[in-house]
Amino acid sequence: MPTPTLTQSIVITFIQCLMVVIFVFVVVPLTVFAERKVLGHLQQRLGSTRVASGHVGFSGWMNRRMWKMGKVPVVSYWRGIPGLVGDVLKLILKEDVIPAKADKFVFFLAPSISMVAAIVVFAAISFVPGTFFTFPTWFPYLGGLPVSGGISDINVGLLWILGVATVGVYGIVLAGWSSNSKYPLLGGLRSAAQMVSYEVPLTLSLLAPVVLSASLNFSEMATRMAVGMPVWALIPQVIGFLLYLTCGFAETNRLPFDMPEAENELVAGFHTEYSGMKFGLFYLAEYINMTVVSALASAFFLGGPWLLPFGLQGLLNPYLPGFLSWFAAPHAIFFVAKIVFLLFTYIWVRGTIPRYRYDQIMAVGWKYLIPLALVNLLLAAAIRCFVV
Amino acid sequence: MFKNEEMEINLGPQHPSTHGVLRVKLRLDGETVTHCRPMIGYLHRGVEKICENQSFFQGQVWTDRMDYCSAVANNLGWAEANEKLLGITVPRRAQYIRTLLNEFNRIASHLIWLGTHAMDIGALTVFLYAFREREDVLDINEAFCGSRLTTTAFRIGGLREDLPPGFEKMVRKFLAKFSDCLEEYEALLTENRIWKKRTIGVARLSAEDAIALGVTGPMLRAAGVAYDIRKAFPYAAYAEMDFEIPTRTEADTYARYQVRMAEMRQSARIIQQCMDGMPEGPVMAKLPKILRSEVNEVYHATESPKGEIGYYLVGEKGSLNPYRFHVRAPGFINLQSLPKMAEGGLIADVVAAIGSLDIVLGEIDR
Repeated sequence: MPTPTLTQSIVITFIQCLMVVIFVFVVVPLTVFAERKVLGHLQQRLGSTRVASGHVGFSGWMNRRMWKMGKVPVVSYWRGIPGLVGDVLKLILKEDVIPAKADKFVFFLAPSISMVAAIVVFAAISFVPGTFFTFPTWFPYLGGLPVSGGISDINVGLLWILGVATVGVYGIVLAGWSSNSKYPLLGGLRSAAQMVSYEVPLTLSLLAPVVLSASLNFSEMATRMAVGMPVWALIPQVIGFLLYLTCGFAETNRLPFDMPEAENELVAGFHTEYSGMKFGLFYLAEYINMTVVSALASAFFLGGPWLLPFGLQGLLNPYLPGFLSWFAAPHAIFFVAKIVFLLFTYIWVRGTIPRYRYDQIMAVGWKYLIPLALVNLLLAAAIRCFVV
Repeated sequence: MFKNEEMEINLGPQHPSTHGVLRVKLRLDGETVTHCRPMIGYLHRGVEKICENQSFFQGQVWTDRMDYCSAVANNLGWAEANEKLLGITVPRRAQYIRTLLNEFNRIASHLIWLGTHAMDIGALTVFLYAFREREDVLDINEAFCGSRLTTTAFRIGGLREDLPPGFEKMVRKFLAKFSDCLEEYEALLTENRIWKKRTIGVARLSAEDAIALGVTGPMLRAAGVAYDIRKAFPYAAYAEMDFEIPTRTEADTYARYQVRMAEMRQSARIIQQCMDGMPEGPVMAKLPKILRSEVNEVYHATESPKGEIGYYLVGEKGSLNPYRFHVRAPGFINLQSLPKMAEGGLIADVVAAIGSLDIVLGEIDR
């Protein structure tokens, strides 16, 4: 295998960045669409079925005929998708209102911070350990070169992820403050308190995989958690997963922890005064954060690019017959499938349970989640000491 | 070094959880509410004054538009108050049909309350489940009087016409599935930890306070006072019905939830009895061509889904329209208890309290 020159590796990294951005901008709108559809079907309705006036053209005619016959039109299941394009267009084209008394610079800065902090995290996320694919030899300039599964699989990857993800809270706090309005201020304050307190159990629950796998490198952790763990490691993995997912819901401000933007109390929370694409960036950042949280959960707890969750893959592999060896190897498709499943879980939970009250969220975080995360960490350490 | 300042904030009149145009002035110490005053009047149309200028027949359409979620219950109160004033006896079959529709209305109103209250607390799905069944009730309304929301269901002296063909089948079909539907809502809420955390002990209103403030309806019954006008001063055909008054003693939001859920079950029971024991006969009393009041004044109270709705009519003997008209609107009087419930709690509790009040601003502002 040829070693790439500096220019070649820069080009490859650029291609990887492009792939990640494409991945994000495919997954996020599809999540928005899925949210409408899944939530719709959870609530016994259809979700979005058409673009604003979907009565034109052939499919519009077909829709009308089928509705007349008393049937749900099949085409309508997918006809909400163009609506996403419409939504994005609307957000971009809409007038961008800046309140007269807002702090203009910070008001402008806040959504960018949120967005950048959310997307930069992907630099350290590796979709599959080792090589993702190799360029075919006929490919100009890059022929025969491997492309790794992550943009930069640095050995302090987790630290980078946690560090950068935390910056996202600045976006929300600054948005709340710079709007110079009461509801956003309350939303921003709530979110500062909530996100800072849930950062602690979130990090603690991620420390268990760190202890177990003795690494901070993303792909190394994922590999060891999936195929290098004894049976006993199952317990801290399962507890850690539930803890992490709970904190993840709080970090991304989703129900039941959607305090900063609790619409029935604070109108729209920190982004009440935002409109146009500035609001769109907050919206995007929320969904990217959801994807990041799902990616971490699936990498460290659900076996990442391997098929089975909770380190079961390592227990199964010795017994797997030869012709099923494809299932014994890591594949990016498994990783993405798990992310998609977790995103579905987000929507599912949103359709099922009510919202906590602000003080109750704090109580849950400090009184239950942090002690539980510490116990889990202790358990992981014990397993690390005596079993591994 | 630090200055501690209270923040004044307006919840409403345009706010997702103030159910219309209620404005609540809150003073906040952090997230804690120290001062809470409901401000009303954004939907004032002067219903009472308008009714004074119209004949006894015409007033009924205005009662639809007061509490538009329980129009039938308002119609019933208006019709009965006028019958008292004009000295008319209503045929027994009409009484039964009135009772039946009134109980359907109670179910519809409670379903709206359930959906919006759960939505305020963050449970999105219950809203659509509840509206699914409410739709059936509205269909029944439509089958009976051609209108879904603002029904103008009754006439002074009875009903405009008898039950339409196929009505009984609709009712039986609804009754057959309704208890399962109630279980479906309860499966999402009753034992839900978050729902319990958000409602138990929240927005307490003791029986003494409730009585002192004149609070009626499910709010009062959730405080342990078994006062229901359908039992205390039976009207329509309620004297012949067998039902219970559900009460709870906790007096919090969760107790109100339980009381209303139980009331829906009792309503279904009453509807069943009405349907089974429906007497034959005419549905309209013999009326003179021109209605003139027989007595000078009358106060008639009925149990609307929200509480005691009272109609106070003053009619000079022989006049064609009420000389004075006043509505004792349950929502208006129940709303007085909001500061008592909300002060000292958090903002989220104010929302829960407003939800548990089950207010309709059309009735409060009139």
